[in-house]
Amino acid sequence: MRAVEGDDDERVLSPEDSLRLINDQRAEMNRRLGLNPLLFYVPWGVAWFVGFGAFFLRHGLSGEPYVDLSRGASLTVLLVSIGVALAFTGYAGWRQGHHVRGESQDRGAMYGLTWSAAYITMSFVASRFVRHLPPDEADLLWASLSIWVVSIMLMAGGAVWRLRAMFAGGAAIAVVNAAGVAAGPGWHALLMSVVVGGGYIVAALVLRRRMAKA
Amino acid sequence: MSLPGGGLPELDPVIHAQARLRVVTALSTIPEGDQISFPRLRDILGMTGGNLSVHLGKLEDAGYVEIAKTHKGRTPVTYLALTRRGRLAFDDYTTAIRALLDAAGPGPAGGPPTGNGSSEMGQST
Repeated sequence: MRAVEGDDDERVLSPEDSLRLINDQRAEMNRRLGLNPLLFYVPWGVAWFVGFGAFFLRHGLSGEPYVDLSRGASLTVLLVSIGVALAFTGYAGWRQGHHVRGESQDRGAMYGLTWSAAYITMSFVASRFVRHLPPDEADLLWASLSIWVVSIMLMAGGAVWRLRAMFAGGAAIAVVNAAGVAAGPGWHALLMSVVVGGGYIVAALVLRRRMAKA
Repeated sequence: MSLPGGGLPELDPVIHAQARLRVVTALSTIPEGDQISFPRLRDILGMTGGNLSVHLGKLEDAGYVEIAKTHKGRTPVTYLALTRRGRLAFDDYTTAIRALLDAAGPGPAGGPPTGNGSSEMGQST
């Protein structure tokens, strides 16, 4: 098992060096090909924080607005934030899967299509009913159904890729969403902004730190 | 893998060279059923294209690697993956390395092992 001199590529390693090389190479592959939590979760955390923060300021906790924001302005802030987050994650997903093909790529494509299908069909269903609701309740219906889709898709993603943190995060969001609906529009917006948005950002930082240590 | 009479295991000479061990380890982290493009693997390993091709050729001759040449539009693209035989050989190799380290007794040089083989190297995607 002695290392022999000669071409460095053909160098025979000691068992210790072989094991170290294997561990280092695996860590490097996971770093280079694995999901970057900062790119995937921080943009959405910021989008929820800013977007729902605008709705919170508009609704207030007791029904009295904290800031005089029109419904259109709040909605614009939320939709622009979501658009930026979508662009980030779309680019990150393309970059991550661009050089690998096969079953993972198929699974990722179907998962992406499921997000779109869930949102589009949910929008059709909700648009039938919101016209009968007062504006604040209509906002709450849109917001809670959208976050409900997020929570279920995260749980499904956790199940597909066996990611417990993703699954647990989705379950937590489902509970917070339901609690927010029970409490009313202002509380729902506050919980989505601080707990869900902030939770995304904290989760991204924790996951990134774990990856760096691995 | 073990020598007759319960001696120390032999290490697969195809894998047990620095460059090819890096290639096989890298490919072992790609989930079964997936393939990685040649340029991406070359960039991650920091090898030249020619050098990587030479080692892939040796691994392909041993039946450890499958090389699929295809086109993306008009651009030719090569995709790589470990074969089932290659995964088994890598699992045997890591088992043999651990057996050698165990036989040599505890020591600080190798550091703590982090898995028993490629099957434990799930990759989050």
